[in-house]
Amino acid sequence: MNPQIEIMIIASIVSTACVLPGVFLVLRKVALMSDAISHSILMGIVVMFFIVGNLHSPLLMIGAVATGIATVAITESLIQSRRLKEDAAIGLVFPVFFSIGVILISRYAGNIHLDQDAVLLGELAFAPFNRVILFNRDFGPLALWTMGGILITNATLIGVFYKELKLSTFDKALATTLGFSPVIIYYGLMTMVSITAVGAFDAVGSILVVALMITPPSTAYLLTDRLSRMLGLSVIFGIASSITGYGMATLLDASIAGSIATMTGVFFLIALFFSPKQGFAIVYFRAKRQQVDFAIKMLLVQLLAHEDRADAFEMTVKHMVQHMDWDSRFADKIAQSAVLKGFVLRDRTRLTLTPLGREMAREALIR
Amino acid sequence: MIEYTIAMVMVGSSLVGCISGALGGFAVLRKQSLLGDSISHAALPGIAIAFLITLTKNPVLLMAGAMIAGWISTLLVMAIVKRTIVKEDAALGMILSVFFGFGLVLLTIIQRLPTSNKSGLNHYLFGSAATLLASDIKLMAVLSVITVIGLLLFWKEFKILSFDSDYAISLGYNVNHIELILTFLTVTAIVIGLQTVGVILMSAMIIAPASAARQWTNRLGVMIALSALFGAISGLIGATISSQVDRLPTGPTIVLVMSAFVAISMVFAPAHGLIWKRNRRS
Amino acid sequence: MNTVVPAVSVKDLTLAYRDQPVLWDIDMDVPQGVLMAIVGPNGAGKTTLIKAILGLLKPSAGKVEILGTSYRQNRQNVGYVPQRGTVDWDFPTNALDVVLMGRYGHLGWFRRPGPNDRQLALDALDQVGMVDFADRQISQLSGGQQQRIFLARALVQDAQVYFMDEPFVGVDAATEKAIVQVLKNLRERGKTVIVVHHDLQTLTEYFDWAFLLNVKQIALGPIETVITPENLRAAYGGRSALFGNK
Repeated sequence: MNPQIEIMIIASIVSTACVLPGVFLVLRKVALMSDAISHSILMGIVVMFFIVGNLHSPLLMIGAVATGIATVAITESLIQSRRLKEDAAIGLVFPVFFSIGVILISRYAGNIHLDQDAVLLGELAFAPFNRVILFNRDFGPLALWTMGGILITNATLIGVFYKELKLSTFDKALATTLGFSPVIIYYGLMTMVSITAVGAFDAVGSILVVALMITPPSTAYLLTDRLSRMLGLSVIFGIASSITGYGMATLLDASIAGSIATMTGVFFLIALFFSPKQGFAIVYFRAKRQQVDFAIKMLLVQLLAHEDRADAFEMTVKHMVQHMDWDSRFADKIAQSAVLKGFVLRDRTRLTLTPLGREMAREALIR
Repeated sequence: MIEYTIAMVMVGSSLVGCISGALGGFAVLRKQSLLGDSISHAALPGIAIAFLITLTKNPVLLMAGAMIAGWISTLLVMAIVKRTIVKEDAALGMILSVFFGFGLVLLTIIQRLPTSNKSGLNHYLFGSAATLLASDIKLMAVLSVITVIGLLLFWKEFKILSFDSDYAISLGYNVNHIELILTFLTVTAIVIGLQTVGVILMSAMIIAPASAARQWTNRLGVMIALSALFGAISGLIGATISSQVDRLPTGPTIVLVMSAFVAISMVFAPAHGLIWKRNRRS
Repeated sequence: MNTVVPAVSVKDLTLAYRDQPVLWDIDMDVPQGVLMAIVGPNGAGKTTLIKAILGLLKPSAGKVEILGTSYRQNRQNVGYVPQRGTVDWDFPTNALDVVLMGRYGHLGWFRRPGPNDRQLALDALDQVGMVDFADRQISQLSGGQQQRIFLARALVQDAQVYFMDEPFVGVDAATEKAIVQVLKNLRERGKTVIVVHHDLQTLTEYFDWAFLLNVKQIALGPIETVITPENLRAAYGGRSALFGNK
């Protein structure tokens, strides 16, 4: 298999592994914990590296995950102490760990691969060259195996605990009364996030981990409110971002991880504007239409009210302007729309209801 | 006799600490701590684009780029939160990572350009206080003065905006205008700090001094002043330590000093501190 | 001061959220010097009505006048007491400071509160029985005390018309009595007080007028004319606890 395909496969595996826990982070409104954890684990990786001496030892994973959990635990206890609000606690803890990590690297590890840029970016381009070779056979890139393993673990855990996760996300109170400890589920989720972040670290760096955990799930959130669909859509958007991101990176000769992160944002933007339920463009045009529909309804109701009163009252556009406090251009537009829809007859300036219009007015009043 | 460059670093770091502490006070009170994180990450593509357009490393232009990017990111976050189902934490996280990722893409593109001007942009990632020039300090000083004047002029407006914006509207204030000014000052403070501590750690500069100060007082004026003071002292101490010890980057050192302030404040501050609480109970 | 013009005059006020009406065609003329409750079931639009009158929400149609002119020109004459839950009481400030905010409207941009403003704020605190708490941090105040300083903040404006949103929720009995007394004093002085009220039981005791609504208005006027079984049925649909009491 040529390296380019391998990179795309690895990227897709990484993104899928990330979006799965990411969906729950977004739904539980703790998305920024992914940011905090993925920055903090740098220190864990560095410390374990000094102890173990090997950059690719699985023990690095343990140290990093421990740091991730520690970040969560310390943040939680700061919040419980009620001396700090949630957002401040999150924003205080991870810079400490990250700073320690950077200082350790700078002082004691200056000439190894673990340099500052890699921390942020990883280097996917190198992934195909770091292969698993056992018994003289090439089993493929290491990243494929580690991330693949993590992906399977994440998917399995989410599959097995689907009901519990779903319940505790949408109805904490009920979940607690049914005996599911919210604390265990929360820390379980954070552990999954930590492991995923560590696994992805070497390949894609911390920034892409955050982008993948938050953005494709948010894109999916704009399009659906069903958990299963949200998971599925997130996976699709993650993979799409990986592939297009890689294409962009090749075209521009730029950072692969950065490009994939950018593409996750692009997909979000598209959904932001065109999501059938909430996209800005869609909502904008729908709001305009609703405004007009609503105004027409009010006009019809007014006409009906004056008809019923049987006084020689003439409804004109000018009256609409005064009575409803609409500006004259808007009033004109409403009158025209009402005419076009067959609700109202316009005789120069005077407006009268058609039978259809009368019916619409009566319907509106019933509500 | 302090060496010139070290003096520059110390002055610069103190200024940064002071201003981000002061404005961080309001950010923390309004529960917008992480907005600072988002703005500072989002500034990266702004800096890169400013460089690509002008092909100079004129700090004024680069900072202008950072400010515009910071602005856009803030507006985007607010728009997303206001109009869609996506919540604030996710919006901040997206803007933060996507903008930053895009910034990194631009940086790698810049690295491949044939121009010779390009080195040093990387410094905005982690800060490089050691390369601060007198001209940088002057720019920072000007921006700091603007920030302080802004704070003094609009003090009661910021106060009422932070405490009860609905009531402010009922009094006749245009709350959007006040918000604009405060955000402008905050973005300025963040941008000032980028050169010194870099993009990633800037959020701590916004949050830490204010969090420490809050433990000591219940009065807004005192809190903001203390926050500025803590920030300045941390900047100074951090810069000094990092200049004395080999290969100790300035940004992370300052952050650790600031965090120590927070920890000490949380444990020892009388009205709020944990130790005080424990004693009271016994 | 023209005593004939209504304190608040609302015409055809309609407010929609997306395409659902939250307020529909509200016509309301509230005479001056009246102590009026706005009542209705949850979701009836009571808070929305106040916010629309104060310009905090934009109506789809309709006009609002305060004392005969637009609200914008008349903000000095309007005092607002929002729901207590809208504010973070951990904010580092004391009771006097909160009340002083009521003077900001008079000061405009750039000017600081002076000794005169401080005195007015202290007087307002005295009116609600909180003058001894002037330098108390607001997070250390009970719910009732917090409600009182919110009221003092509006009082210090010395407005003509006051709007209050559910001031009696989560408040102790003594505070409730104290606040009602302040409101009645305001009425004696010819002020108009409009209160979103959640408790039908205390309606007749506290208020003269009522406005009953549920998205559409049901009735407006002196309490006896408004609180009738038919009206309550129309507003609350189904049973009302007041059925037997009259």
